[in-house]
Amino acid sequence: MNSLKNIGVHVVHVGGNGNARAVLREVENLLQKLVEEGEESSIDLSGLPLTPEDYDLLEETLGEGEVVAEVHSLGPTRIHETGIPGVWWVTHYNDEDEVLAEFIEVAWCPEILLAPEDDVKDGLEALRARLFELNQEGGHGG
Amino acid sequence: MADETLLDILKRRGVSRRGFLKFCAATTSLLALPPSMAAAVAESLGRVRRPAVIWLSFQECTGCTESLTRAHSPSIESLIFDAISLDYHHTLQAASGHAAEEAREHSMKADWGNYLLIVDGSIPLKDGGVYSTIAGISNLQMLQEAAAGAAAIVAIGTCAAYGGLPHAQPNPTGAVAVSDIVKDKPIINVPGCPPVPAVMVGVLAHYLTFGTLPDLDDLGRPRAFYGESIHDRCYRRPFYDQGKFAKTFDDAGARDGWCLFELGCKGPTTHNACATTKWNGGTSWPVQSGHGCIGCSEPDFWDAGGFYKALSTPVNSVTGAATAAVAAGAAAGIAIGLANRQRKARARAGHQTVTIEDLEK
Repeated sequence: MNSLKNIGVHVVHVGGNGNARAVLREVENLLQKLVEEGEESSIDLSGLPLTPEDYDLLEETLGEGEVVAEVHSLGPTRIHETGIPGVWWVTHYNDEDEVLAEFIEVAWCPEILLAPEDDVKDGLEALRARLFELNQEGGHGG
Repeated sequence: MADETLLDILKRRGVSRRGFLKFCAATTSLLALPPSMAAAVAESLGRVRRPAVIWLSFQECTGCTESLTRAHSPSIESLIFDAISLDYHHTLQAASGHAAEEAREHSMKADWGNYLLIVDGSIPLKDGGVYSTIAGISNLQMLQEAAAGAAAIVAIGTCAAYGGLPHAQPNPTGAVAVSDIVKDKPIINVPGCPPVPAVMVGVLAHYLTFGTLPDLDDLGRPRAFYGESIHDRCYRRPFYDQGKFAKTFDDAGARDGWCLFELGCKGPTTHNACATTKWNGGTSWPVQSGHGCIGCSEPDFWDAGGFYKALSTPVNSVTGAATAAVAAGAAAGIAIGLANRQRKARARAGHQTVTIEDLEK
């Protein structure tokens, strides 16, 4: 199999096709909406014809921000804030680490990071139950 | 079990609300809906019941099933398939022979009027349909019986949708499409040879999500996936616009990724999702691998001239615009540009914001 490595492969980079610039303009537009009207929105990257060079240009232009987060549910979801506050890169993976969907979210905070209201209510119940048990144990002790 | 909603099924599998949100985001992306629709998708998915599905394979090569079982989003796909009850699929089911046919008849009776019928393969009509039979029953007879009790029919692959390869000249078996036989049921055509796995799953997901048929084009294809041409979504499109064409498969233009139009690419006349959804887990697709599109999702693609023969230019009729431009003494190139601009203006004028009501119609 090593002989395969001897086959000369000349990798040619064709360069971006200009679509990354269009996406960046869209991000600008959505960010302005967030600032002026508080309206959150997102762009579905999987529906856009982007070359690897376009991806690089998107990532380079938006840069890296302060926040990195990971959600574990139905496989990992990795989120990072870009160098532009309010612009988030959200990638959903499955259990085999394949990309299911990829979004640029323009929001104060990506929705998937917020604790769902029903979960918080369940959480309050759970905490009270634990406190009740703790008090019972404390009662025995004192 | 039949009354369980998809949300119940997910909860039983220990999927959290965040997981459900993620599932909905991925499904929305799969359905090619705008991300803002995720909330609506979530609401609908929380309500849906588990529909029964009967899959009939007629005159086909099993390529469509091969493609479907390689859908590249295992967790999403498996959740979708957990959410349907696939009662008969003679390649995938464990039962065979009489037991299999009994399962089909039982499921048809139990869900008469409500099941979703999926068909792949064309139906041969010549010589009484003897060229393809299952358990001694001709494809024609089995389709007619199963279609009578179906809520809707999905014709998977170009054979079921338009006759496909069996229908190619000289069509020795008299092969026809599902829509040539069934006239009184809604039919969704999902063509492709084979169709993109994500598109097949997407159509099922749409039916699951909204319980209705998606918006279809004039060839019965869901607009969400077949609404735009390969050419319009192609990453090589900017080269076409610049007039940069590969002239042979090994020239400098081909190496630099220029447009394959002159090498016979059928992208401009083909409607499919390959350019954005891609194949094999988003790895690549025919044009990205350096070969032109052969137009496999269009009717009679096999008889549409050579795969390596360039389409005649221009693709769309420019008669009206050409007359105006020639009168002004302009070159044909301007006429084509004018026609394209007019087409774009019409598209803009016709553009409307999609609402959940539009999708549920």
